[in-house]
Amino acid sequence: MRSADKNMDKNFQPLDPALRESLPKVNVDDMISSVKYYVDEEKSHLWIKSHDVCAQCKAKPCLFFCPVEVYKTDNEGKVLVGYQACVECGSCRVGCPFLNIGWVLPRGGYGVAYKFG
Amino acid sequence: MTKLTFDAIVVGAGPAGTSAAITMAKSGLKVILIERGRFAGSKNLFGGVLYTEAIKEVLPDFAKRIPSPPFERPVTEQGYWLLSPDSVVRFMHKSESYKKEPADAYISLRAKFDEWYAAQAVAAGALLITKTTVTDFIKDEKGRVVGVQTDRPEGDVYAPIVVLSEGVNNLLAQKLGLAKMDLPPRLVALSVKEVIGLPQPQIEQRFGLNGVKEGVAIDIFGDATLGLPGTAFIYTGKTSISIGMGLLLEEFVQHNLHPHEVLARFKSHPVVKPLIQGGESLEYGAHLIPEYGYDRMPKLFADGVLVAGDAGGMVDALHREGTNLAMTAGRMAGETAIEAHKQNDFSAKFLREYRRKLDDSFVMKDLKQYRRMTDFLDETPHFMKTYIDFANDAAMRYFNAHGLPKRDMEKGIVKSLGQRRNFMGVAKDMMKLMRGMGI
Repeated sequence: MRSADKNMDKNFQPLDPALRESLPKVNVDDMISSVKYYVDEEKSHLWIKSHDVCAQCKAKPCLFFCPVEVYKTDNEGKVLVGYQACVECGSCRVGCPFLNIGWVLPRGGYGVAYKFG
Repeated sequence: MTKLTFDAIVVGAGPAGTSAAITMAKSGLKVILIERGRFAGSKNLFGGVLYTEAIKEVLPDFAKRIPSPPFERPVTEQGYWLLSPDSVVRFMHKSESYKKEPADAYISLRAKFDEWYAAQAVAAGALLITKTTVTDFIKDEKGRVVGVQTDRPEGDVYAPIVVLSEGVNNLLAQKLGLAKMDLPPRLVALSVKEVIGLPQPQIEQRFGLNGVKEGVAIDIFGDATLGLPGTAFIYTGKTSISIGMGLLLEEFVQHNLHPHEVLARFKSHPVVKPLIQGGESLEYGAHLIPEYGYDRMPKLFADGVLVAGDAGGMVDALHREGTNLAMTAGRMAGETAIEAHKQNDFSAKFLREYRRKLDDSFVMKDLKQYRRMTDFLDETPHFMKTYIDFANDAAMRYFNAHGLPKRDMEKGIVKSLGQRRNFMGVAKDMMKLMRGMGI
C-alpha cells in the first residue's frame, strides 16, 4: 500500500506539468449556482480544529480537493471555511493530511438538497 | 412522557435502508425510517445505473407500482471507452436482448429514485421521518444498542434492532467500533458529477438512440482522469446527460487537483464535447465511494445493530455496482431482523446470521473476488495511462494505410509498447491486474 505522505511514497510520480497546464480554470461558483441548499445560518457543521496546524501545512490540499472549494485562505494565509457551499461528501474530514477538519452532519433538513442526484 | 418505541429503526433512507424498511414493514413489524435530508434521496448521488434484480427481490411488483419507478432510460448499450488525449478506443456492447420490460438495468437519478423507493416503504407501513439526523445510540446497561438519539427535541427513539444504513460517512458505525477507522484517502474515491440538460431528440441523435426505450451507459478510463487510477462516465437520461469522473481521494490530495477542473477538462475532450455541447448545467455534485475492499470492510453486526450499504463498504467499483449490493444487504438485514423478532434474540451472536446470508450471496462473493482491486489501482498508478495510450496508438497504426507493409506495422505496435514499459514491467502489471480481478 502507498504511503499517505507523497514524500515517503515510492509509487508517487508527480503530475506531468503539461497535464496540469491542460486543466481549464473553472469558477466553482458557476458550478454550484444550480445546486439547492438550505443553509443553517446558526451553526457550521465544519470547522478547523487548530489554525496553528494549518499554518504549518505547506501543501494545503484542502484548497484543491474540496469539490466545491469550501476552503479558501485570507490575505494572511488563514484558512476560511465557507460551509454554506458544502455538499457533505466527507472528503475534507479524511483528506486533510493532519485530520484537522471537524466534520459533523448538518442538522436534519439543512445543507445540500439534490434535485437530481 | 412515553417512550417512542418501534420494532426496528432504520438510519438513512437510501437503497439499503429503504430495502430493509420495506422488508420488515411487509412482515408486519413497526418500522421507523429516519432520513436527515428534506426528502429521501436529497443527499444522495451516484453515476448511475440501477439494477432491477435487486429491486425485484424487495418489491416483486415494482414495475407495476403507481406512480411507476422514475427511471431515466433502460441500458440498451454499454461498455468502455479507453481515452487518450486526442482519441478513443471504444468497447461497446449493444443488443436487442437488453430490450425487455422491465429491463435489467436503468440509468437513473437518485434524488428521484430514492424518494419514490422510500414512498414504497411508507406504502408498506413504515413511518418515514425526514429532516432528522441521528446523532448517537442509546445503549442499555450491558452496552447493547436499544435505540437512537436524534437532533429533534425529545427525539430519542427505541427499538430492539437498528439497521445502520447511514452511507459512506459512517460516523455512527465508527462510534460503535464496527468501522475501525475513518476512510483513509487511499481507500475511498471522490466522484464529481454534472447533470446536463438537453432536449430529448438531441440526446437520441447524438447517442444513436431510437426513442426513450434506449439508453447508453459508458465507463471511461484514461485521459478522463489524467491517466490516474479512476474512472469517468457518461450516462444518458431522458432529457439530461449524467457526466462525471472519480479518482481515489489520495490522488486529488497528493497532486493538489481541483475535481471540478479535472471534470471540465474531460468535458472539453474532442470526443466528449460534441455530446454535451449546448446543454444546460442542471446540477453539480460530489460523493465519496467506499473502496475498503473485502479485507478491511467494517464489521456488519453487533448487539442490536446491522450495517448495510455504503456504511459497510458494499461497493464493487470494477463493475460500478453499489446500489444493488446495498439493496440486497438491506433486504437481508430486514429478513434477519424479522427472524430476530421471532426468536426474541437481538444479540450479536444471533445477528451473525446476517453476515452468513451475505456470505452466501453475490454481495460478499464479489467483494471477496475483487478484494485486491483497490490495492491494484493504488500500487500501479501508471497503469491506465500506459496501456490506454498504447491501445490508442496501436489502433492508429492498425487502421492506417500508409504504404507500410503490415508486418512492419505489427512490429511498430510491439515496439510502441516496449517504449512505454519493458517486458518485465508489462508481465508484472498483468500479474497484478489478474490478482486484482481475482483470477
